[in-house]
Amino acid sequence: MADADQRVELPDAVRQLAQLPILTVVGTTRADGAVQMNPVWFEYRDGYIWLNSNTGRTWPKNVQRERGALLLLVDPKVPDRFAQIRCRLVETIPDPGHEQIDRLARRYTAHDFRALEPGEERITFQLEPLKVTGQEI
Amino acid sequence: MAVDLSPKMEAFTQEVFPAIIGTNRKDGSVEMVPVWFEQKDGSFWINGGTNRGWFKHLQRDPRITLLLLDPKDMFRWAQVEGKMVNWAEDPGGDHINQLSHRYLKHDYQNPRTGRIKVQIEPTRITGAIDGRR
Repeated sequence: MADADQRVELPDAVRQLAQLPILTVVGTTRADGAVQMNPVWFEYRDGYIWLNSNTGRTWPKNVQRERGALLLLVDPKVPDRFAQIRCRLVETIPDPGHEQIDRLARRYTAHDFRALEPGEERITFQLEPLKVTGQEI
Repeated sequence: MAVDLSPKMEAFTQEVFPAIIGTNRKDGSVEMVPVWFEQKDGSFWINGGTNRGWFKHLQRDPRITLLLLDPKDMFRWAQVEGKMVNWAEDPGGDHINQLSHRYLKHDYQNPRTGRIKVQIEPTRITGAIDGRR
């Protein structure tokens, strides 16, 4: 089965999950092919999924190398209910003024992100959902 | 080479929440799915039907990663990289029934036939529980 290559809208049930302040699990592969998974903050807005990271971590390097990622959303009340969203990386956007990570931090913690550490650089990923699969959703 | 669990990880893995497992599809892309698990004597055990995608992936590439994430506190998580070292039939469904008791505190309600149990040996542990990124 070939993966779609056009952006899809998230179905209503998945969209409702995406509104909750839950983490998404980002699945990528490292250079040696091993699966890497990280729980991260996210936002679904304007039809895209937005993530933000410190540039020093491994998972954003994987996302950039693979030009995409697999995201998992699990219903916090019903663990058997989950959605898997295959995404393509549209754009990597620098976040020098940390507005974007502040925006995400407010979604989860109701206040701005911590002060950046010396030398810390942040980037935002704009991800395009291409395919949504799942269970009981 | 297998790694030992720290005391903190030993305690964390006894808490009751599903693990998210990540395996490699044929084209190298990732698949993730939440599953029941248990950790015993340093190995992780999961259970499923032989027709599950993740089991097919593991037979081709035994590498598997488990993400353990406390559903009540998103800052408590661990990533366990490992590999399938063994699998066996689960005749009579004894193992899935044991997992059912761990998660639901009662007998497994679904058919107990055609299931397998998979042993995973951890090779690398990172995340917030041990404070290693």
